[in-house]
Amino acid sequence: MAKIKLELVKLCKEFGELNAVDDVSIAIEESETMALLGPSGCGKTTILNMIVGLEKPTSGEILIDGKSVLNVPPGQRNVGLVFQDYAVFTHMTVRQNLAYGLKLRKMKQPEIDREIYKVSEFLSLGHQLDRKPSELGASELQRVAIGRTLVTNPEILLLDEPLSNLEASMRNQMRRELRRIQGETGQTIIYVTHDQIEALSLAHQIAVMNLGALQQYDTARNVYEYPANRFVGSFLGNPPMNFIRGKLAEDSGQRVVSSGESTMPLPAGIIGADMTIGSDVVVGVRPESLNLAAADNPGRFTSEVLAVEPQGPETVVTAAFGDSSFKVIVPAGTDAEAGGAITLAPQSDLVALFDAETGVRLMNSGGA
Amino acid sequence: MLIFPFILEFVISLTEWQPIYGDFWDAFASVFTHKINQGVGYNYLITDEPRYLQALGRTVIISVISLCLEFVIGLALATLFLKKFWGKRLWFTALLSPMMIMPVVVGYTWFMLFQYNGPVNQFIGWITFSETNLMWLNTGHLAFIAVITTEVWHWTPLFFLIMLSGLNSVPENPIRAATVLGASNFKIFWTIILPNMKAVIIIAFVIRGMEVIKLFDEIYILTRGGPGTATETISLYLYKLAFEDFRLAYAGSAAFIVLIITVVLINMMLKPIRYQLVEGR
Amino acid sequence: MPESKFTPFNLLGLVAGLLFAVFPIFWMVSTSFKVRSEWVTSPPTWISERPTVDNYLTILAPHILLARRGGTDQGDEDFGGSKDDGVGGANADFLNRSAWPGIKGTVIISVCATILSIVVGLMAAISISRYRFGGNFTPFFILAGRMFPPIAIAIPFVIMFGPKVFDMTDTYFGLIVAYAAVTVPFSTWMLKSFVDELPQEIEEASMMDGYSRWGAHLKVTVPLIKGGIIATALFILILNWSEFLFALVLTYTEVQTIPVQLSKYFSATEGTLYGVQAALAMVSIIPLVVIGFFIQRHLVRGLTLGAIKR
Repeated sequence: MAKIKLELVKLCKEFGELNAVDDVSIAIEESETMALLGPSGCGKTTILNMIVGLEKPTSGEILIDGKSVLNVPPGQRNVGLVFQDYAVFTHMTVRQNLAYGLKLRKMKQPEIDREIYKVSEFLSLGHQLDRKPSELGASELQRVAIGRTLVTNPEILLLDEPLSNLEASMRNQMRRELRRIQGETGQTIIYVTHDQIEALSLAHQIAVMNLGALQQYDTARNVYEYPANRFVGSFLGNPPMNFIRGKLAEDSGQRVVSSGESTMPLPAGIIGADMTIGSDVVVGVRPESLNLAAADNPGRFTSEVLAVEPQGPETVVTAAFGDSSFKVIVPAGTDAEAGGAITLAPQSDLVALFDAETGVRLMNSGGA
Repeated sequence: MLIFPFILEFVISLTEWQPIYGDFWDAFASVFTHKINQGVGYNYLITDEPRYLQALGRTVIISVISLCLEFVIGLALATLFLKKFWGKRLWFTALLSPMMIMPVVVGYTWFMLFQYNGPVNQFIGWITFSETNLMWLNTGHLAFIAVITTEVWHWTPLFFLIMLSGLNSVPENPIRAATVLGASNFKIFWTIILPNMKAVIIIAFVIRGMEVIKLFDEIYILTRGGPGTATETISLYLYKLAFEDFRLAYAGSAAFIVLIITVVLINMMLKPIRYQLVEGR
Repeated sequence: MPESKFTPFNLLGLVAGLLFAVFPIFWMVSTSFKVRSEWVTSPPTWISERPTVDNYLTILAPHILLARRGGTDQGDEDFGGSKDDGVGGANADFLNRSAWPGIKGTVIISVCATILSIVVGLMAAISISRYRFGGNFTPFFILAGRMFPPIAIAIPFVIMFGPKVFDMTDTYFGLIVAYAAVTVPFSTWMLKSFVDELPQEIEEASMMDGYSRWGAHLKVTVPLIKGGIIATALFILILNWSEFLFALVLTYTEVQTIPVQLSKYFSATEGTLYGVQAALAMVSIIPLVVIGFFIQRHLVRGLTLGAIKR
């Protein structure tokens, strides 16, 4: 197993009555790229601040390379932070911004110049070096902020909402830039974001958070395909995951979930020991994980079509289940119309069952 | 009906301008009469030049020293106020109080304090463990110090106020970024906070600078410009000229020259932030 | 600044600052209650051992003291007269020191001058702000007016007010005009910054509703900046109240203002009457402190001529 670079152990931060961060434990490997994903106010920025040292945790530990850094001041932890608003020093030129950290480390001028040259080439800032920040655009400012941090060679790089301040057209470009930086520097990188697309596209591992608590920490793929609870399922994916309430029942040897008149067969192997027939469950299945089924598919079920929305290469069909509805993505040109019926089957291991009350995923439902 | 307010206002601003024009004519006239040797203004200006220049010099020295002291102390107090401590409201009002006192009262108060048997000497005696009986207001260089002390006491709160507002307007994130890059508090102050306050600092200096040059009330009460001419600043010099020597015309032209100098100086000081100011106004 | 801790060193600094700021004021207050013999002592008396309100009575209600002494003709030792002071005697000593003429003068002149200054300043501010009266450089001229040593303005005033021209020295009217003229730049500047904050559309809208130009200004602009007007007025009031030089130069016997009166508290035999001065000082600065308290918020704006709006 690769070396653990950064470890958060039972990290807690309280602001008076408010539990901003509640017992979070994460171990991040060296050279890994991780995203802290969650809605506003879920505690992710607070964690970031604690890792870099701008805030002190109420309890818990932060270990870098196995050693606690709680008593190490922010500038000496070898952790770099790029702020959401970039926080470029507006009264200095780009060059002076980049040199700031190096000057603090008492580097000699020729060396500083060399490092600045390297970083400005790396980030295509070469011709901006003597400009003032007021003359630069958003993505250039971001590169200055990143450069300013990179030049000090931090072992861990933190970025707060790196793509959110950019226009859509800039975002793709920046995404590529960031992936390139990832590849070429080998640093351990942590992104903080509320945008699940950002997280999915930038990180190997994702830690999903809500209200201060860690919901799931796993590879991007696993978090997406096998959410640990209802929240994670709902947070990732666009269009969002369907949640269908029903009762667990048995029908000719098959486990099914039924609600009213509708029945959905559950793929084999999905049932675990902690499920009892007749209990309330919530089925989580993504619109793209329901496929059109042939008439002889044992796992099929039929629903009434409520609405059809063509969307270019795909069509989104809203169908009924019990007294609620769900969405499914089908190829364009599929024969479906409102009032008609559609026959679907869930993809085998991409269905999750959640406890109706706690939202926790029920054991053995789905792969990993 | 429409025009009336304009007229009225014009007339009154005329009153304001009258005095200024008055000096202008004096200076103008003296330039001419110099040649004709009736030399009311300019002639005297030349013969009395040393005293005039000395008064200017004293004014500059007192102003510069006072401004610098007020700036440093005001800034120091303002940075203290960024921290958390109990009773801020109270401290704030107390620290601001000197500024609220009338100049004449300030003058008389410090007059009392600087007496040879007054608290200032007593205080110095405590610190130096000796009997001190300095005659502050009767000794040349001591009177100078007394005047500066009084002015600094009176107006440091202004700098304090302005610096505080300046400190609070420095954006927070660059400060945190600098911290993350490893800067100490001191370095942050020097490289991030102060540069961001440049405009505010210049404004403070200009605002108080304009007034401190004209300082009259306190000096008049403390020393009348004395002993001799030790604390004779330009205001006091003009006063003496006009009301003790009765050389009014000459005083007028001398004053006019001071105005020119002041305007030029202020202009120079404002240059760096002219752009921002025009925007604001 | 990252939340730095409050060290004892910091506390020392704050306390030192506080003591320095407050001590002279304390001294003034204390002196105002001191008995004559405690005014000039060596070492100085910090707090009176026999506090008395006589100083206050001297300036505010001298007849009480007069009555107390039984109204003899002798001068009063305690207050600077000598036992054998024959001229005018006790009456002169006491009644001369009443501060009421000064208070009357200060109040009348300050208030009237303030009103005048505000009225003119308001019109000027509106004219400059809305109509660019006097061209684009008028603001700078006004600022230049502020840079003039008051002496220089006082001299022409003395000439103008002198017997040959307007003959207005030593009159209330003259002083009011002088004070107003001097503070008009200030009030114009401050009011202009308030008027600038109002969008012009408001006045244009009311003019479309039928108001004449100045009618619109009167009924719309003025009420909207009421707060600013009051703050400016109070500020100018403080300036006028404290004005010393012009009063010194333009008054002789008829009109008194407090600042000038303060300088008159000495006697030929006993020197400066510190206690009485202190008492008058106390009385005169109380209104200012109260006013200052109310306009605290606008203080920075006024003092920096609108450059900094806190």
